[in-house]
Amino acid sequence: MSWKAACPTGDVKQDKIKECTIDGVEIILVNVGDGFRAYPPVCPHMEQYLEGSGICANNVMTCDRHLWQWDMKTGEPLGPAEKPLLIYDTKEEDGQVMVFIDEELEYDFDDDDDD
Amino acid sequence: MLIEIEKKSKTYRFEANAGEKILHAGLRAGVPLPFECATGTCGSCKARVNQGDIDEGWPEAPGKENFKAAKREMLMCQCVAQTDCNLTVPSKIKAFREDDINPDHHQGKITDYEMLTSDVLRFEVKVPIEGTFHAGQFFVLQAPELEGYRAYSMVNYSQSTDTLEFIIKKFPGGELSNWAFESNRLNETLDVFGPLGRATFHPDEGHDLFMIAGGSGVAGLMSILEHANQVNYFQDHKVELYFGVRTPNDLFFAERFRAIKTQHPDNVSINIVFSNEPPTSEQLSGNDGLNYLTGFVHERALPAVLEGGGNTMHYLAGPAPMVDALIRPLILDSKIPADRIRYDKFN
Ligand SMILES: Cc1cc2nc3c(=O)[nH]c(=O)nc-3n(C[C@H](O)[C@H](O)[C@H](O)COP(=O)(O)OP(=O)(O)OC[C@H]3O[C@@H](n4cnc5c(N)ncnc54)[C@H](O)[C@@H]3O)c2cc1C
Ligand code: FES
Ligand code: FES
Repeated sequence: MSWKAACPTGDVKQDKIKECTIDGVEIILVNVGDGFRAYPPVCPHMEQYLEGSGICANNVMTCDRHLWQWDMKTGEPLGPAEKPLLIYDTKEEDGQVMVFIDEELEYDFDDDDDD
Repeated sequence: MLIEIEKKSKTYRFEANAGEKILHAGLRAGVPLPFECATGTCGSCKARVNQGDIDEGWPEAPGKENFKAAKREMLMCQCVAQTDCNLTVPSKIKAFREDDINPDHHQGKITDYEMLTSDVLRFEVKVPIEGTFHAGQFFVLQAPELEGYRAYSMVNYSQSTDTLEFIIKKFPGGELSNWAFESNRLNETLDVFGPLGRATFHPDEGHDLFMIAGGSGVAGLMSILEHANQVNYFQDHKVELYFGVRTPNDLFFAERFRAIKTQHPDNVSINIVFSNEPPTSEQLSGNDGLNYLTGFVHERALPAVLEGGGNTMHYLAGPAPMVDALIRPLILDSKIPADRIRYDKFN
């Protein structure tokens, strides 16, 4: 796979989560002010769909289930979160958000790393 | 039965008794296994069975909603080992606080039983040995002949006590609440396990407190108020409590609130919010030191939250829909950091 058009840039508003499916791969898109970020659709904690459970404010995303939080620009965990968000590369082209999908990124829910 | 949980950094091993929930066995042995509700509804205690046989317990547990049977996923708070077992636990295994108290099983006896309102009763359970718990914690209780444990937050607080004080709200069609309300249960025995839970209060943290409770959610917050008052915390810290009930007839604990308010009138603010009826004229006269409001508790409480939260710890307790309805505006509108919110969802 390669760069794919996800949706018009104007469809991805700040502090909102936009869900799209590209060639069968589900992603969520957010607007971080000076660009966009694309992540897998679920929370790395317990697979909750972030489109419903994610709260975005000031480039911090919070999952309202157990309050895991991430820096939306880097995906790095904040506060109680134990795992980062995985990120697909994105760019803007001709008014579209383009997402680089080589293979579907998935969280390892059996990951037994404890530190 | 020997239970083994392999992690990269170390392998945890503990013994589980016949019939004992794996979560209980681990916590009792000091292994800080992940959990939240301890009663099958939230899914936080997920594990995968690599080896061994288990009885998965409550088949309809809502916490199993997204589980994959093929991976032998199960809830540690519900399942019982039938042979030695090797498990994978995907969440981190880490202690919340160093002074956490290892929970244990006790046989408790109901030593006090009284109706507070038409649908809330208060009871005390005496356990054989003295111990302590963090204010805000809960025990799980199992009544004779009922399947499964239910969680109840302690109302009291003491550095050392053999008495756990609880309130329970009548829950239409609910098995344990039915059992509790059906007849006077004085002298009945219960299996109890605890203390559990992280929506706790620690004076050394030095926070001001903002609390929102719906109905019986006030239980754990009462314990926090008790503990704080015992260490004279309100001498130099503030507390603001919003407590929602339906009507003036549903109000309980007004005396206890008043006792604390009277000692520290400037730093203690107690707001009672009635959803279905206005306050009585006597309540409105303002003579008893408590504030009485009308509306939904979350609507009344939210405007009082300090933006950014300052030095405040926020405690939310009550029905899950109330807690869920509060988390979003607290984070989005009031910009409260997630580690300044502690909650118990009463499912
Ligand atoms: C952390 C926490 C603290 C709580 N504190 C309080 C409190 O202080 N006061 C209060 O009134 N309520 C409290 N609750 C709610 C309380 O635990 C019960 O859910 C409520 O009293 C209804 O119980 P019930 O048996 O009447 O209803 P039911 O509908 O019969 O059962 C409710 C719960 O019991 C468990 N359960 C039911 N059937 C089974 C089964 N077959 N096997 C295993 N488990 C089963 C499940 O957890 C279920 O959600 C708390 C809940 C939580 C999670
Ligand atoms: S599912 Fe998202 S924080 Fe737990
Ligand atoms: S802790 Fe087991 S389901 Fe909530």
